[in-house]
Amino acid sequence: MMMIDTADLTKTYEGRGGCRGVTLQVPEGCIFGLLGPNGAGKSTFVKMLAGLHRPDSGRAVMLGQPLGRPEARRKLGYLPELFRFQEWLTPTEVLRFHGQLGGLRPRDTRSTAFRGRVRDTLELVGLADAAHRRVGGFSKGMQQRLGLAAALLLDPELVILDEPASALDPVGRHEIRILLKRLRAKGVTVFLNTHLLEDVEALCDQAAFLYGGELLASGPLRELLGGAGDGGVDWRFQVGGWLPDSLAALGESLGGPSVSPLRLVEADTNGNAVLSARVADREQAGYLCALFIQIGLTLYESGPEPNSLEDWFIRMAASRQGGDAQ
Amino acid sequence: MTMYISATFKELTRKRVFLVTLVLTALFLILFGFGLREVAGLNEQEPNHAAKQLMDSMIFMILGLFFAQFLASFFVLFSSMGTVTGEQENGLLLAVAARPLPRWKLYLAKWLGHAVWIAAYSAVLFVAMVWIVHGVTGLHLFAGDLLRGFALFIWMPLLLLALSMLGSVYLPMLGNGICSALLYGLALFSGLIEGISSEGGTLLGMEKFTLLTGLIVPTDSVYRRSLYELLGGSDWAGLTSTYLGPFSIPTVPSNAFLLYTVAYAAVLLLLGCRAFSRKDL
Repeated sequence: MMMIDTADLTKTYEGRGGCRGVTLQVPEGCIFGLLGPNGAGKSTFVKMLAGLHRPDSGRAVMLGQPLGRPEARRKLGYLPELFRFQEWLTPTEVLRFHGQLGGLRPRDTRSTAFRGRVRDTLELVGLADAAHRRVGGFSKGMQQRLGLAAALLLDPELVILDEPASALDPVGRHEIRILLKRLRAKGVTVFLNTHLLEDVEALCDQAAFLYGGELLASGPLRELLGGAGDGGVDWRFQVGGWLPDSLAALGESLGGPSVSPLRLVEADTNGNAVLSARVADREQAGYLCALFIQIGLTLYESGPEPNSLEDWFIRMAASRQGGDAQ
Repeated sequence: MTMYISATFKELTRKRVFLVTLVLTALFLILFGFGLREVAGLNEQEPNHAAKQLMDSMIFMILGLFFAQFLASFFVLFSSMGTVTGEQENGLLLAVAARPLPRWKLYLAKWLGHAVWIAAYSAVLFVAMVWIVHGVTGLHLFAGDLLRGFALFIWMPLLLLALSMLGSVYLPMLGNGICSALLYGLALFSGLIEGISSEGGTLLGMEKFTLLTGLIVPTDSVYRRSLYELLGGSDWAGLTSTYLGPFSIPTVPSNAFLLYTVAYAAVLLLLGCRAFSRKDL
């Protein structure tokens, strides 16, 4: 089942900015990361999902309900970006208030069960000790934790987090990562809008890349990181016994230097070298490994390039900038 | 719908809005009571006619309630001018509006949350003022008149609240505060001018101006009807019109006009719900 399913969802501000024609599916039970540079339209997209912005056109279904209907938000937990809670309330009162906004009757929010729920949620986000202090005295990180508690209070099936770790210190960020993994293990779907690529790399099963309001890529993170769209994979080989004419010899074996996919990355005077090649699949990489051995090289290591999300992010943005320039 | 009643109460008490307002209101009432006792004492030394004493009591009541409605209106304006855009700007609305509650319900809940405490404050003001004037001057009031005057006195700030909240959907907090205060001031000014001009006979142009401002912002008209009812309606209120200058009540809004104010409030709330439902936060 798709927790979020949008088709050509568009929202612009007098024809500018926002996002255009976004078609995106978020499957149940995964952590989905939404990426893109500043001004890509990520916040606009998230605000449409949360019911804060009205789409100009397009169609969307969230939790089985058409977007915009309050029912679609019944099982949604949402942590906004740049939000604040009432400074004059305590976290316990904030959560009680949000319980009522979520559809609970006032007397339900005074029940022992709900009070226990509030206590557990505050403990989950590390605010148990501050449960009865005024929010006005909270640091940004504590406010962020309280926002997370409000999002998780009513056992949501889908959690949308807009920059959840932006105000947190490294320890706080680590705790949030553990919490999000626990949510996924419970079957909760998490939609993460973040600038912190290491969080996406560490947590997300799937991701999407928005640029200039348009969706450029979407899918499982491993597949996105695996290539730049041609289906190939960058492979790296570490070899020994390297001689200055080894590259030419390899090129000859592969049908000539002009068609050889191999590229010398580095070589030292002791005969060690690192080579790189773009291969269609593992079979092709295996063939190259056999070739190295055949011409007398020692193969120390072979595997896909350690392709970081940051590289991918920059490559995606640069490819679009190039396209725009053309 | 009722969740904002306790939330607004906590906001008003913990931000010390209520405390400061009540302390200053108490100070105003004490000063008014003291001044009234002094003036009433001077009047007692003169060989006054009973009718003159009654007239003076009515004048004190009108002056007292004039300043009381002023205080109630400012309480409305300052507490509600940032209800939507103010909370949007500081991020308070983001987590709230994403909850599974239709926006129109959220808007009405916010109106109700403010309305309950504004009505409570206005009631305290009204009762205190009437009690002081009655206690010092001995002005006799009938229960029916008192209740009608009381209900209309409370209705006036609630109308202003509907106007101020609608403005807060469209205008930034400060802009809405200024705009709402100017509209309220226009209605008040129109009423005062009507009072002054009535001494020299009825002016057609002035009548039209008063009617128009009354239709746009009916707060002053409701306040004047409240005074009229409190002071005994057609039995006594006419006596006050010639002596009070700007505070006179030369024309009294009709029952049909009161019905208009109900429709006016309903339309403002409807427009507010509609605009808030369509607003991008």
